Amino acid sequence: MKNFQHINAYSIDEAISLLRHYGDRAWIIAGGTDLLGKMKDAILPSYPEAVINIKTIPDLSYIRRSEGMLKIGPLTTLSEIADSKVVRSHYIALGQAAHRVASPQIRNMGTIAGNVCQDIRCWYYRNRNNRFPCLRKKGGRCYAIKGDNRYHSIFGGSVSGGCMAVHPSDTAPALIALGAKIRTSSRIIDAQDFFEVKPIKTTVLQTDEIVTEIQLPEFPSGTSSAFLKFALRQSIDFPVVNCAAVITAKDGKVEDARICLNAVHVVPYRAVQAEKVIVGNGLSEAIAEEAGQAAVARAKPLEHNRYKVAVARALVRRAILACAEGV
Amino acid sequence: MTVEIRKHICPYCGEMLDTADKLKGHVFRMHKGRGLPIPEGWIRLTVNRSEYNLKVEPKWTLNHLIHEVLGLTGSKQFCDQGACGACTMIVDGRPILSCMMLAIECDGKTVQTIEGIAAEGHPLIEAYTNHHAMQCGYCTPGFVVTSKALLDRVPDPTDDQIIEALAGNICRCGTYQQHIIAIKEAAAKVRVRKTAGKEET
Repeated sequence: MKNFQHINAYSIDEAISLLRHYGDRAWIIAGGTDLLGKMKDAILPSYPEAVINIKTIPDLSYIRRSEGMLKIGPLTTLSEIADSKVVRSHYIALGQAAHRVASPQIRNMGTIAGNVCQDIRCWYYRNRNNRFPCLRKKGGRCYAIKGDNRYHSIFGGSVSGGCMAVHPSDTAPALIALGAKIRTSSRIIDAQDFFEVKPIKTTVLQTDEIVTEIQLPEFPSGTSSAFLKFALRQSIDFPVVNCAAVITAKDGKVEDARICLNAVHVVPYRAVQAEKVIVGNGLSEAIAEEAGQAAVARAKPLEHNRYKVAVARALVRRAILACAEGV
Repeated sequence: MTVEIRKHICPYCGEMLDTADKLKGHVFRMHKGRGLPIPEGWIRLTVNRSEYNLKVEPKWTLNHLIHEVLGLTGSKQFCDQGACGACTMIVDGRPILSCMMLAIECDGKTVQTIEGIAAEGHPLIEAYTNHHAMQCGYCTPGFVVTSKALLDRVPDPTDDQIIEALAGNICRCGTYQQHIIAIKEAAAKVRVRKTAGKEET
């Protein structure tokens, strides 16, 4: 790693003013498991002049219920969320998602906000010393379209039709399915509007904006949720496809459903067609299969990732059936 | 080691200030748009029950500090990207990857490395050699540190709990089966020690 200035921020306001001071020449560090990898490999054309540590800001790590919501502090580690009783009993999808991120050591370091705001894992983008100046680095083209795209988007690209890199977060689909809101230093954003594809950016956050809280609504009884992840290894691996489902049922009929896939599109992909299939119906094997088909009906796989369509279909079906057991 | 008291001098106008934070505020107000001065980078760190005052560079990882600067070469750096677990250390009771943590952010923390576990005479060391839970041995310190953190939290782990806890460590020689046997034996010894300790007092 090259050297940089390391500054501890002691309040959110201080962090914001430091970000304003530096503009895009400063990066925020929380858990650091994503950021240090980026800096060690020097994947981007630019290198930060300063790194602003927000771990020194007090009282940003908590899980508490108030005002009819579950509030999670941005610096809460993934293992704290996975071990939390209230998350495991009422927000099963989030607990399972946090539990499946990377490895135990990384879950002890990585934070929930960092998991949501992490950068893409495309192997062209992540190649050392900015070897592939791709669209996400304000370069000319997406190298995955004609290259090896086995882990790339099956629902088309973005950045003027280009970048095919998927969003790698495990907790993001769970938060979207659970209808979470993300409070930042200047506004409150719905989790599903939080993601955006722009050069060197995966979220709608401005350069002087940080996540300050994650808020989950409370659910009526009869709601259950599930999270499933398909990866090549059980541990220390990013998802090939993952899926979170939240289903509210009454008297055997589905009243509300939210299903979100991730690692299939440039941003987390809400499977609205699959939701339409199951709402108003009972939960059966046949309906779940139909919903799975509907979820991937619009898929446009690339040369090497046709298998991901089948994986996504199976995960949607299994996530719905897993919810059916819990309702 | 003692920390000498230093004056904090503004690099742009030469004004002297008492603390690093005051200097930071001064540059921030008076010299808009200029880079803030690199902070002193002194940290207090407890490594295996010894206290250190260390001057660190921002780019140093915790592994670099402990392996290269303090010379405790037990924990290995292998993948350097958080994917193998060979550099695992216990920081404030939790196993973490020292290659993905900046040393400058460890101010006031307590670190235990494989050397500290060996100095304690922890039964894990003996159990690992008895059951030969290694071949080349490069990953072993990481495994032992992770298992020690597990035994601190769960005195009598099941097979599943052990597999779960060791999920972040990779052994290319494939000695995984032996780890479970070794950790269970060590866990039994730790429990015996604890009850014996209680009876004595």
